[in-house]
Amino acid sequence: MSRALPVLTVLAGIVVLWYAAAVWMNATWVYDQAERAGTSVAFRDMVAETMTQERPLLPPPHQVGAELWKGLFGQAVTSKRSLVYHAFVTFKGTMMGFGLGIAFGVLLAMAIVRFRAVDMSVMPWAVISQTIPIVALAPMIIVVSSQLGLTGRDVPKAIIAAYLSFFPVLVSMVKGLRSPDQMQLDLLKTYGAGEWATFLKLRLPASMPYFFASLKVAVAASLVGTIVGELPTGAIEGLGARMLIGSQFGEPLIMWAALFAAAILAGLLILVVGFVERLARRRMGVPG
Amino acid sequence: MKRLLTAAFLAAVGTGAQAEDVTLQLKWVTQAQFAGYYVAQAKGFYEEEGLNVTILPGGPDIAPTQVIAGGGADVIVEWMPAALAAREKGLPLVNIAQPFASSGMMLTCLKESGITTPADFADKTLGVWFFGNEYPFLSWMSQLGLATDGSAGGVTVLKQGFNVDPLLQKQAACISTMTYNEYWQVIDAGITEDQLVTFKYEDQGVATLEDGLYVLEDRLADPAFQETMVKFVRASMKGWKYAEANSDEAAMIVLENDQTGAQTENHQKRMMGEIAKLTAGSNGALDVAAAERTVASLLAGGSDPVITKAPEGAWTSMITDKALAN
Amino acid sequence: MSALWLAVGFWLAAWALNVLLAGSFLARTRAGRALVPLLFGVAVLVLWEGLVRGLNVAPVILPAPSVIAAKIGAELPVLWQDFAQTILKGAIPGFVIGAGAAFVTAIAIDRSPFLQRGLLPIGNFVAALPIVGLAPILVMWFGFDWQSKAAVVVVMVFFPILVNIVAGLQSSERMQRDLMATWGASYWQTLWKLRLPAAMPFIFNGLKIASTLALIGAIVAEFFGSPVYGMGFRISTEVGRLGLDMVWATIAVAALAGSVFYGLITLIERWVTFWHPSQRH
Repeated sequence: MSRALPVLTVLAGIVVLWYAAAVWMNATWVYDQAERAGTSVAFRDMVAETMTQERPLLPPPHQVGAELWKGLFGQAVTSKRSLVYHAFVTFKGTMMGFGLGIAFGVLLAMAIVRFRAVDMSVMPWAVISQTIPIVALAPMIIVVSSQLGLTGRDVPKAIIAAYLSFFPVLVSMVKGLRSPDQMQLDLLKTYGAGEWATFLKLRLPASMPYFFASLKVAVAASLVGTIVGELPTGAIEGLGARMLIGSQFGEPLIMWAALFAAAILAGLLILVVGFVERLARRRMGVPG
Repeated sequence: MKRLLTAAFLAAVGTGAQAEDVTLQLKWVTQAQFAGYYVAQAKGFYEEEGLNVTILPGGPDIAPTQVIAGGGADVIVEWMPAALAAREKGLPLVNIAQPFASSGMMLTCLKESGITTPADFADKTLGVWFFGNEYPFLSWMSQLGLATDGSAGGVTVLKQGFNVDPLLQKQAACISTMTYNEYWQVIDAGITEDQLVTFKYEDQGVATLEDGLYVLEDRLADPAFQETMVKFVRASMKGWKYAEANSDEAAMIVLENDQTGAQTENHQKRMMGEIAKLTAGSNGALDVAAAERTVASLLAGGSDPVITKAPEGAWTSMITDKALAN
Repeated sequence: MSALWLAVGFWLAAWALNVLLAGSFLARTRAGRALVPLLFGVAVLVLWEGLVRGLNVAPVILPAPSVIAAKIGAELPVLWQDFAQTILKGAIPGFVIGAGAAFVTAIAIDRSPFLQRGLLPIGNFVAALPIVGLAPILVMWFGFDWQSKAAVVVVMVFFPILVNIVAGLQSSERMQRDLMATWGASYWQTLWKLRLPAAMPFIFNGLKIASTLALIGAIVAEFFGSPVYGMGFRISTEVGRLGLDMVWATIAVAALAGSVFYGLITLIERWVTFWHPSQRH
């Protein structure tokens, strides 16, 4: 309870601020309309009108809530109009990218720790790769992958997501695989353990806490990548595509609802990954 | 799953002799602008011709010209200015049919900005789409003698996004609209028609040909591909004429195909009504005079023309002649 | 085809040289540490060039590095104008405002554990959200020029930095704080002399994360409306015009700008947190 109260207070503060901002931002339009019609509006009427506009500049929370509710529960979850369906499409993309990112990050980390040449050659470029705005590459990724015969839009989306999510995994795994100290390594040597055995019995277990710690960041990055991949690349479904359509047809409510659906999805993903992390830590005997 | 299978299937047979699979890349997201193709598919017109057509929607980052260059589509829906510009860049696109007889592009201005004629554009901010759609605008401005580089006495160009907000927020005096889409969004937003001034490209004599079907020149040499395209154009035009005659039904078919589920019946029905006005009078065959007018308008670009020389062989009536013969 | 084999050959030779270099005494020198990744980068470019030439990849699909380099040389003024619009006017002011706002907020809530407990989980949550989705909305609010891009950047960088500063301010140890108290240090003295320096590694971590976000935000926002220059504008427009060489030239500039920005922050970090174990070499 003592943890929930501060959070709820801050949330309540945000909602109040939001309403105030909604009135303030949507008021211009009400006044403009009145001026065009040659009438004037009282403050009371103005406030009432800002709460129910069809194309508000900033929709007040209850409008977004209603749209979100309609999107989530207004129809069967398999319907194309259901946000659950689109969230699932985005979720699938996120998981594909996440999996790809983990695999790539872990493999690269293994190579980096094992081969000094790989470490020195690739590591600086891995850092630089993250400074390239991935959105700039999105159209390129689509064309090149269609050139390679991958016509679906799922693969490019997953590649974009993986591009963003591999990096935290890579950095943590490199740290983790290097975390055993010299004494431990020496001990295994005295046991006559080969390189592979040292890897399996010492380095890999030692890296696990680092690995799980990176997953939360990676899954969030993967979601961002998926949505970025859906937004401008004509992916035909998913939350990002809905944001685009909402923007094009001037339906701010669709955009906001998609945005909040994405937020809920992000929250769920982080919860699940956090849960897996705790489970893994407990199994490996780390307290807490 | 089904799409995945189709994709795998396409990849498997794409290079083989079975040329009856056709992939069509649209210029933009699924909407009534492309109703003819969706109707032809839903009503089985493609099937009757023995075609298996896959329709790929576009998006803000998808250039149909690039998709076809990469082998991702057999035929694309594109505007003639963009297609001709791509042709100059070395991508030999050929127009095989022109379902849109007239242009739906306009510049819509707020009356309160004081604009009444094109001459008033000077020193105003105008919203334009880019991504290949800017060519008609640029050639119009250069014909008016207005600089678009932001210098004094010219116009300030802003790249508008995918909606009409710049006009509503008064960030621009005029924005680009299509008769079938954005114009109505302005009206929906609560601005009445008499508060607006519109300049149709068609009326200003600077209209360029919009949605046409384009394929790569070298593939047209293949008689089998020709045959497929004849069937495709025939079925597509049947779809367009059906859509024109049954506009509400066509809109519902489009809605069925909208996978975002975010489009509304209202928008699509109205869009279909406006689209029907643009396709009216076209039987699919390209009006060569209109194409030449497009070329002339693009060439008249002053110091910075969209294309530098008149293209040769950028269109052919070979397909439509056969498609319309029987 | 021979171009391809030459390139593959070059790649293998470069790799062999790198393996040698990495194993030699040179690997411990500064020059060696710079040479190896450089050689790797050059080898990748050569391989790319060979692939494009050897397999006759159409320039509208993937241009060769030499073509891109020529384009960069020919279009420097345009690239500079785009850079100024997107990075100097959009990303950097947004980054500075966002970081400043996060700093002020962190100090403001520092004395209220209640607010901190409330804001921290929310901040952590928002930091993980796909904020890019806000880009179209912010462009609608702040107009099409650089202000809206800076606004997107502010929102994107605010929470990651805030969360890191708050965490950093809590990182000084009880014993250290008690020591300051026995010396009679005021709240502000403790903050200035102990807690802020102790927070620096965290703060720089946040700044580094935010630096890449800033670039992405500024570029994505341009997709939703912009003047007729800017890196996001250039990329989306040139893709439509099949000017792929220009697209890649802009990407190269973005990568360079991003790396320099990141490198700059790392340099300042070294200078500020020279005492931290991670900086000892």
